[in-house]
Amino acid sequence: MADTNPIKQFEIHPIAEFSVAGLNLSFTNSSYFMVLAVGLTIGLLAVATSRAALVPGRAQSVAELLYEFVADLVRSSAGNDGLKFFPLVFTLFAFILMANMLGMMPYFPAPDFHGFTVTSHLIVTVALAMLVMVIVVGYGLFKNGLKFFSIFFPAGVPAPLYVIVTPIEIISFLSRPISLSIRLFANMLAGHILLKVFAGFIVMLGAAGGALAAVGILPFLMVVALTALEFLVAFLQAYVFAVLTCIYLNDALHPGHH
Amino acid sequence: MSSHSDHTSKPDPDDFEHRLAAKLKARQEREAKEQAGPSGWSQGIRYGSEFFGGVLAGTGLGLLVDWFFGWSPFGLLTGVILGFVAGALNIVRAVRSLEK
Repeated sequence: MADTNPIKQFEIHPIAEFSVAGLNLSFTNSSYFMVLAVGLTIGLLAVATSRAALVPGRAQSVAELLYEFVADLVRSSAGNDGLKFFPLVFTLFAFILMANMLGMMPYFPAPDFHGFTVTSHLIVTVALAMLVMVIVVGYGLFKNGLKFFSIFFPAGVPAPLYVIVTPIEIISFLSRPISLSIRLFANMLAGHILLKVFAGFIVMLGAAGGALAAVGILPFLMVVALTALEFLVAFLQAYVFAVLTCIYLNDALHPGHH
Repeated sequence: MSSHSDHTSKPDPDDFEHRLAAKLKARQEREAKEQAGPSGWSQGIRYGSEFFGGVLAGTGLGLLVDWFFGWSPFGLLTGVILGFVAGALNIVRAVRSLEK
């Protein structure tokens, strides 16, 4: 019987064992896909922009489209002075998008030939979200000093109510990295489990044989539809992460007006 | 509707407008459907994670207060309640930002 465990795809295997002072720092399949996502993004963009022309070719127009898409995003949600964070937002967007897209391949030229979705692991998305929050808090304090904390004191509230409102605002602020990371992680995890569960049904029904094997066409159609949906979710989640990064950066740039 | 006159006569400009309007309408409907399809799923997870994040942050803060000041269990109780409020606030903000 074929292995139809839908959780198996999230397993992490070491590719090259490596440890420093008892700390396991092995190069795993997760690291492999992260390196690949970075390498492919840099490589593809380098190829696309290597023969830059005034009238762009196919590859160059895709690269320009990507650039303008992210630049518009930053401009519309963080304002023109938010553009100094364009490299950060673009890097995050490109990395998440590439990692999500690589995860859509069920088989992949990797050790074991198994695809792997980097962003389906909470630790990765938490690291990305913490990076954003550290930059927001750090830059906000650097640029606005103590005025940065005015985001915890919304305007137009009677003074006694700050006793309740300020803790709520602080908790709401602290919940941002949690919700940012959980959203990406939950979307990727749930989507990939769903895909594998329905794919498992095909194998099980096929193995049952006879009339049941004919019913197997139904989960197959479902998998086809879900795959299309997952490609959309993969793009959408990279986009949502970038949008929210811009919105949070906006707080650091212009505290005080929500 | 397009009038099927013989093909030697000049094409009617009104006919072109009609066809263009019909094509545009069909395209807009198709795009609206494509837009609406996956957004329910992702919006659900969006609101869910906003609320969950609020409750989790509030609970964590409450436990931290308990641990530092030894106010157990009142730090946790206050933290959870404030976390629920913050989660609700997060959802209201998320909805407002989507409606814009």
